[in-house]
Amino acid sequence: MGFDERHVLPSLRLMPYDRLVLVAGRETFRSSGFRRLKVLEPGLRTVRVDPFDLTDALESIRATIRRAAGDGAVRISASGGTKILTNAAILAAFQEGVEAWYCDPDPVRLPVLRGVSLAAAFSPSEGAIALALHGPIRHDRLVAAVAARGFARRTALGAIGSLAAKGLVEFERDDGTVLVRPSPRFALFRDQLRAVPKKA
Amino acid sequence: MVSTGFRMRPQRRSGSTEETSYRQDWLTAASPMTVLFGTLGWRPQSLLPSIRSTEDLERVVFYHSDHAKSRDARSKVMEFCRALGVTANAIEVSDAFDLLHVAGQIRADVRKERAAGADLRFNIAGGTRLMSSAALLVCILEGVPATYVHDETYQEIALPLLRISYGQGLTAKQRDVLSFLVRNRDKDFTETALAKSLGVHKATMNHHVRELEAKGAITRLSDPADARRLIVKPTPGMELLVG
Repeated sequence: MGFDERHVLPSLRLMPYDRLVLVAGRETFRSSGFRRLKVLEPGLRTVRVDPFDLTDALESIRATIRRAAGDGAVRISASGGTKILTNAAILAAFQEGVEAWYCDPDPVRLPVLRGVSLAAAFSPSEGAIALALHGPIRHDRLVAAVAARGFARRTALGAIGSLAAKGLVEFERDDGTVLVRPSPRFALFRDQLRAVPKKA
Repeated sequence: MVSTGFRMRPQRRSGSTEETSYRQDWLTAASPMTVLFGTLGWRPQSLLPSIRSTEDLERVVFYHSDHAKSRDARSKVMEFCRALGVTANAIEVSDAFDLLHVAGQIRADVRKERAAGADLRFNIAGGTRLMSSAALLVCILEGVPATYVHDETYQEIALPLLRISYGQGLTAKQRDVLSFLVRNRDKDFTETALAKSLGVHKATMNHHVRELEAKGAITRLSDPADARRLIVKPTPGMELLVG
């Protein structure tokens, strides 16, 4: 929500809910729009974020979704606040697999697959690579490190290829040897990769 | 030499030969030219850092509204690209108030460039909220690396997006069923009719339908004419997933 509660009200009318959680920047909580909303919804819970920092907003919204998901289904209305906050909410909905709507002014349901979270995009062998990959490493050593965690050599090779396809590792030839190194985007996913369930 | 080489796949061979072939495929893959997509508002500064930082930049394609200030910003970006010797295509989005329409337009352009073999990047920092959100939606669905530019520092920040299409969250069979339903949205199908149309056993179809329903991709509604019949319908917005 930004300074105008009218971005939130259409969502309240359209989506049935038990509890309402509002994610907004500091200034919003001082606005008259927020005070009016608080009168309408005395049980309103609030989460304060930096609405101009997409990374901070994304992490806060994802954490809020995970907490709320323990109590039941979660829906997101990503229509108010700054452009960055809206984008963070959309991204969080896709990454956590929760229903999302964009109401500006007509409601549009976004094509999120319920329950399909970002962690589901990674296999246990890719998680094992994340544990072994901290910087440039020789390709054969990385394969051996993954194999030492109980994965077949072919599985390790496939997982390295899969991470390359996802843009998370890069290859470099150094004096006849092949090095695998994390791409600049790898750090953005390290937490999700570490959360991947281990091999059974 | 660095190559992302994500187009290559290991060949089915055994032992060290397999590994050697695998690595050579990646290392010999030529680095394709990059097409930078962007959304532009009133400030060219939101797009220029990405133009500067993109390696092997072949072309810039950006979307802007019909507002006079947005057109001014367009002229500045075009001038900047001319000075760098980079081709730029500016696309004016006349109805920048319809999320699905704008996302559909951007996605068609993205797919066209990808089919031509270009490596893609997207800067979603500029433009209206709706334009930027539509661009983000396309990046998520198509697996295009996206960045935004900080309002004050003009620093480029990468978004945590994977280079895989979001539709891969469905199996191939689930995609087939959903695509069929989206194409025939105006018709009513029961599970049995759906199974017959797609040539699968009705028990198999029941499995796919349950999986799709659990993911929120379809709903089953009672037929108003016969309450015993359940009609299978795609949920709104799913045309973006399989379209």
